[in-house]
Order: sequence, then C-alpha cells, then structure tokens
Amino acid sequence: MMNPAMLLLVAAFAAPLVVSLLGAIRHSWVPRGAILMTGLAFAAAVWTCIQDDASVNVPWAPTWSMNFSLTLDGLAKMYALLATGIGFFVVLYASKYLALHLHHDHRLLEEQTRFFGFLLLFMASMVGLVMAQDLILIFVFWDLTAIASYFLIGFDRAEEESRSSAQMALLVTGITAIFVLLGALALFQIYGTFALPEIIIASNGGRNTGIAVGLIVLGALAKSAQVPMHFWLPRAMAAPTPVSAYLHSAAMVAAGVFLIGRVYPLVAQYDWMLDALLVIGFASMAVGGIIALTRRVLKQILAYSTISQYGYVVAMFGLGGEKGVAGATFYVLAHALVKSALFMTAGAVTEATGKKNLPDVGGLMRRMPLLAAGSGMAAAGLIALPLTIGFFKDELFFAAAYERGMTLAVMSVVGASLTLAYILRFWRQTFMGVLRTEPEPISGYLVWPVVVLGIASVVGGLWTVPAIWIVDRAASVSADAPIHLHIAYHLDARHENVMAIATWVAGLLIYLTRRIWWPAALGVAHLGSYFGPARLYYAGMRGLNQLSDSVHRIEVRDLRSRVATILMPAGLLVGLAVIVTPNSTSSFAVGALGRDDIPLITMLVASVVSAFVVIVVRDHFRLAISLSSVGFSLAGVYAFMGAPDVTLVALVVETVLSMFMIGMLVLMPRPILRFETEVRAERRYLRRDAIVAVVAAGMAFFVAWGALSRPSPSTEVIDSQTVLTAAVHGKDIVTVILADFRGFDTLGEVTVIALTLLGVISLLRTGRLR
Amino acid sequence: MPALNPQKHAGMLQSGARIILLPSWVIAIAIMLKGYADVGDGFSAGVIAALGVLLQGLAFGTDELEQITLSRIAPILSFVGLGLALLTAFVPILFGENLFTHWPGINEHAVHFGVLEFITPVVFDIGVFLIVYGFCVGGLHAIAREEVRQVRLRDRGRYLRSTTRGGSLADESGEVRL
Repeated sequence: MMNPAMLLLVAAFAAPLVVSLLGAIRHSWVPRGAILMTGLAFAAAVWTCIQDDASVNVPWAPTWSMNFSLTLDGLAKMYALLATGIGFFVVLYASKYLALHLHHDHRLLEEQTRFFGFLLLFMASMVGLVMAQDLILIFVFWDLTAIASYFLIGFDRAEEESRSSAQMALLVTGITAIFVLLGALALFQIYGTFALPEIIIASNGGRNTGIAVGLIVLGALAKSAQVPMHFWLPRAMAAPTPVSAYLHSAAMVAAGVFLIGRVYPLVAQYDWMLDALLVIGFASMAVGGIIALTRRVLKQILAYSTISQYGYVVAMFGLGGEKGVAGATFYVLAHALVKSALFMTAGAVTEATGKKNLPDVGGLMRRMPLLAAGSGMAAAGLIALPLTIGFFKDELFFAAAYERGMTLAVMSVVGASLTLAYILRFWRQTFMGVLRTEPEPISGYLVWPVVVLGIASVVGGLWTVPAIWIVDRAASVSADAPIHLHIAYHLDARHENVMAIATWVAGLLIYLTRRIWWPAALGVAHLGSYFGPARLYYAGMRGLNQLSDSVHRIEVRDLRSRVATILMPAGLLVGLAVIVTPNSTSSFAVGALGRDDIPLITMLVASVVSAFVVIVVRDHFRLAISLSSVGFSLAGVYAFMGAPDVTLVALVVETVLSMFMIGMLVLMPRPILRFETEVRAERRYLRRDAIVAVVAAGMAFFVAWGALSRPSPSTEVIDSQTVLTAAVHGKDIVTVILADFRGFDTLGEVTVIALTLLGVISLLRTGRLR
Repeated sequence: MPALNPQKHAGMLQSGARIILLPSWVIAIAIMLKGYADVGDGFSAGVIAALGVLLQGLAFGTDELEQITLSRIAPILSFVGLGLALLTAFVPILFGENLFTHWPGINEHAVHFGVLEFITPVVFDIGVFLIVYGFCVGGLHAIAREEVRQVRLRDRGRYLRSTTRGGSLADESGEVRL
C-alpha cells in the first residue's frame, strides 16, 4: 500500500494536472473532470484521515539539510479534510456558477480550464502546505498558494479592479512571505536544520529564536488578513464567488492560522508573542466587526466578517493554554463549514437577482426556501446558536477568555455580539422583509452545496464525536501535548452559558438599534479608509512607480546617460570590491623591457592609437572601422605573446563583429545617423561625462591590475593539466580546456549565442526593428 | 553589406568569392577536427566557415544567401549544434557518470582513422562549430534581408510617388547605398 501522505499529495496534485490536460482536449469536460478529481482527493483525504500518521522523507538538497519531508499528522489531517472537502463543494458550485459568470461577461467558455486549473492548484498547494515539515518546503507551498490565488482573484482580467486586487493580494502576502523565509533561515542558523519537529524539540526559548518565530508569525498574520494587514482581503472580493468562498474558508486565509498552529509549540514559549497575538486578534475582531456592520455589498459584509472571525482564532491562540489552542483549532473547522456556505449564498443570490448590494435584495425566503434554509443553518452556526457546531466554537472562546479575567471576557462578548449583529443583518435583510427584486430560477448546483454545508453545521452541533475526534488530534499537534476536548450542552448557569446569552441579547440590541450607531460606525470605516494601512500601501506603490519612472527617464534620455547607467554602478561596485579586498601580498609591477618586446609594444601602440581615433572620429562607419582596428591590433598583441589559439579566435571574431556592426548601421535610418554625427556634447554635461569616464576607466584599470596582481596559478595546476591533456588524447591544451576541463562554461557561453540568434531572428522577422 | 546592384561589383570579387568558398570550408573542418591536436577549435572554425559563406552574399547580393542551402538552414544548424553540445554534456548522467564525462576516458585507447581520433570532445566541438556558424550566418543574413526589404519598400514608395505625382528620383538616390 502506498504511503498515505504520499497518496494524498499525489491525489491532490493530480487534480490540476488532469484538469488542465482535459482542458487541452475538450474544455466542456473540465467542470465534470474537476468535480471527479476533487471528489477523489476528498476521498483520499477521508481515507488517509482514518489511517495512522504517516511520513515521507526524501533528501532534497541534503548538503543544505533540506528534505522533502511530509507528515500526515492530526493538524495536517484536519486542514487537508477542509481543503479537499470544502474544495469539493466549491467545485460543485463553480461547475455551474462559472459558466454563468463567463456568459454574463461575454467571455469564452474555454477560460474554465484556467479557472479550475488554478482552483485545484490552490487546493493541492494547501494540501502540500499542511503536510510539509521542512520550513523551506512550507515556504514553497506557501508561495504556491499565493500564486494560485493571484490568478484566481485576477480571473476577470479585463477589469482593472480585479487586476489591482490580485496584485495587492499577491504583494501583501508575497512580501510578508519573505518574513517566513527569513524566519526559516534564522532558525536554520540557530539550530542547523530546517526540520520543524527537530527545531521544536531543540528550541531553547532564546531571544533569537523568538525573533525568528515572530517573523514567521508575521507572515502568517498577513495571510490571515489580520490588522493592520487586512486591507487586501475585502479587495479580493473581485474574484468570482467560488474563489472567495474557498479563499475565506479553507485555503489562503486559513493557511495563515494553520501556520501559527504549526509553529505554536515555539510561539507558546514567548509571552510577548502571545500577548501580541491577543492584541492583534481583538483588534481584527473589532475592526472587521464594525466595518462589516456598515457594508452594503453582500460579499464585503462576509469579507470583513472573515477578518473578524480569524481575529477570534488569533486571539484564542494568544490566550493560549489547552482551552485556547483547542478552541482556535475548533473554530477554524466550524468557521470553514459555515463561511463557505454563506459566500456561496451571496453568489447564488446575486446570480438569481442580478443584485450585489444588500439594500437591493430582500424577501427571498418564499422564492428560494431551500437556499434560505441552508444559509440559515450556516448563519446560525456562525452566530453560535445552540444545536449547531458554531455554538461550541463560541463556548470554547468564552471559556478561554474567562480564564484570563473579566476584561477579556467582556471584550469577547462584545466581539461575538458584533458577529451576531452583522450576520443577522445579512441573513434577515436578504431573505425576510419586502421582496425587492424578483429572483430568476437558478441551478440546483448553486443551492445544494449551501444546504449540505448548512446541514453539516447542524449535524456537527448534534453529533459532536467526529469534530472532537478531528480537533483533538489537530490541537494536540499545535499544543505539543495530548488535548481532549470536552464539549456538550449544559443547562445550567455556568459562565460560558451566561456569556452566550449576553452575546445574543447584546447582538440583538446592536442590530435593533442600528439606526442610532450607524453614522458612528460609518465614520470609523471612513476613518479607516482615509488613514488606514491601505493608504500606506498605495503611497508605497506610487513611490515605487515614481522611482522606477525617474530612473527610467534618466536612463533613456540619451545614449550618454544610458552608457553611464551601466558604467557607473559597475565601476562603483568594482571600486568597492577593490577597497574591501585585503591587499594582496604580491602586487603587479612592470618588469624590464628588452629588445624582444619591440614587436609587442608596436602592436600595443597601434591599439592605443586606434582607441584614440575612436574618440576623434564622428562618422559612424569610420567609428566601426576604428573600433575593429583596436581589436585587430590586440589580435596582433596575442600573436606576439605566443598565443596562436587566442589570436585566431580574435581575428575571426573581429572580422565577423565588424560585419555585424556595419550591418546594424545600415539598418538605422540615415537621417538619424546624420543627425547624431552632427550633434555635439552639451557643455553642461562635460563634467558628468568626465566623472563617468574616470570611474569606468578606473574600474577597467583595477580589474586588469587585480588580475595581474593575483598570485600566478601554481605550476602544479599547469603541469597536471598538461599531463592530463595528453591523457585525454589532446595535444592542444586550449581546446582541451574549452571542450573538456571547463566544458560546462563553454556550454553556457554557446547556449547564450544560440539564444541571441533566436532573439535577433525573431526581432527582425516580426518586423519590430524598423 | 547587401549588394543591391550586382552589376557594379567587380567580377574579381565574385570569382574570388566562388574560388574561396570550398577552401574556407575545408580549412574550417580541418581546424575543427584537428582542434584537439593543433591551433584552433570549433569556435574559430565556425566563424571561418561563416565568413566563407558570407563572402558570397557580399559578392553576389543577399539573394545569393537565399540560394545557398548552407546559409538558408543556418539558424536550424545552430540549434542542432546546441542539441549536440547539450547531449555530450548530459548523456553521461544517464550512465551514472558526471556531467561532461568524455569517452574514451583518461589513457584509454581511442579508435583512430589515420591521425584522426574518434573522441566525444570532438562531438562537442562540432556542436560549438554549428552554433557559431549558425549565429554568424543566420544573424547577418537576417540583418541583410531586413535591409533589402526596407530598400525595396522605399523604392516602391518612390516608384508610386513618381508615377502618381511625377516626382523625381534624384534627390533621394544617395540614401540607398552604404
């Protein structure tokens, strides 16, 4: 039997491959193929879930102690189940939704292939991420999710908003991913390994470890859209609805809290980090909750809700302890089920009515009872009504918060009541009240996934055994200690229950009094959009653009500045290298000149003279000729130095190079050449040109000087190569070095030649050079 | 470079170019095959062979380059050469050897034909030869073809202008020649 971890990985990554191949054959098969492949991946996840933990460990780059190591532990099982299970329902939903979406936008159905390919790649990289045990491997899968999400968010590429949202998501999560990499490298510096389990065992709780882990957690928080790096998530709503449903519940955003769960044994050693998580979690709860109350677009309400919900999770990780970790893990599970259902509800409502805003819809209960029931169950789960799985997520949250004192308890009640208020607003104004827009009938594929997930949320609330089984194993990994979850309904006045009732009352009150606080909440939202971190992001983007533009402008102003932009940095870098390099013991000295050197010196003088001619002549043709005479004189120098191989190459290359130069000159428009010949260097640039010339010449001088000053290669190397030359059937050591000893260098060089030819020909043949 | 007006070129250049084509290739191939034993290698051999062919273009005009098979297929030859070079580099890996392991190995007997030895470095050198030859001929041919195309466009424009408006050719005739 195949290793379960490997089986799951293969099943997950087979999905995007198979679907892309299907798309190449016949794109109408793609949705069904995607359903089949995600179904298989889900089945594989379920089957592997009930197996024992399994590991795969293949040395990948053993010299850097990097291993392709996967472990299917409790944590991986839970997230893999979510990624494939929610993925399955999302794909079911998308199989009908996407065709409608493309039809609305007058786009070709063929684009389905791209969509499902990336969606399944998203799923596969999540599955890989949750099993990865090597920090570098984690980083690779981490970035793979970012790349997949970029293409999915920017799927409607004709729209500017969708493109810029995709870019923002990629930049925010991609730049912060660098922190994850930095943290990984720092941990490698400290512990000499990338293997996370080994690091956890060896960790000493030192300050440096703390900083490294903090960097990783920073990346994770950005991925989970926590304050202040939350602003990309609402913008990511530009994606088609199935993507949002997936991204918010089981993929991208979940990846962030997953990573915190994965490194939690390290995080828990630092109180300051737990406190920071607590603060960030509660801040996200508040920001997400308040803004969600004010949003009018259906999907935006849910997007801000996600920020707030993951705030709960982060806060619970911050609360720590057995209850905190178990609660955070449980929360992710419960939230994934209901949030994907709610997103799909929003998509279905928009498909049926054509409206995206909450005020434009209403009273859909009668027309779409099934959807109302399904999403009602999901909404009940999110606002933690009893008899749903969501009830326990809040119970655990309250219990963990209460342990830490009254202040946190009150804050958690307030946060939870915000959730209740905006979800109540979302569901009630969609399905109850006056019918605003008559819905059109929609496919069952858009409704049934919602219903099934809603039922799952209720079943999870009635029969808690499977959820407990999964969460126990997952939380035990995060806590690095066995955890046993105790959840049940208690009909007594224990503080969790009291807090729950307080939440419902407060939430209902907030909802009912919404007219009173509405302006204040709106003010907070506006304040956020004016002074929030998004502004910083835009300012940064603008600044980068301007910087790049100004450098570009300097570079392309004229030929002199273009040459200067190459020569100046090169010269300065070489100068820096000369300064920092320790003085070599034997610096080069010019030896005595004898009579034998006269031919050599003659050729050198010839090349110097032709080099000076290059400065003087103005006509391009003469310029080319004098440049090649520099080359020919140098070939003469090689000849007198007794290097026939180099001489031959120099001669033939110089010949063909002159032909190329003259050929290119003929291609240029004659008037421009004539104009360039006339033009005189402007006086004000004289000083600048002089500086550039001195720096560049200094660079060339130092390079030559440095090469000459190097201790000459020991005669042993030369001798051994001479002996070897004979042994490998050669008599000409130069050719042997080129084709054998340093063959790989030659291969690289000739590859460049071949690719240049490809470039020349494709430029000329497509007529772009005119 | 492009000989746009073959009548103007001296017959000496043309006959010289024809006479030199075959010897240039003989020399190139000799330099390449003997590269392991004497001065020169695939690189210089490639350029020499290319110069021999390019001389035909210089003497007879760009159209002549289209006629010569060896110049028409030069870009393809270049990539055939790249394939050869890559094969000699990477095939040893399939046999569990290091990159660029050549056969026969050190101090092993090599099959030879006269003084010519059959060894894999020569195959690599042939690859280099083809790449360089293809680059020189293919690149310059592409440039020359573009020049001719531009000149023809210009001539056609001038012809059209002269027939429709009765303009004169004289003022721009200097622009065409190098």
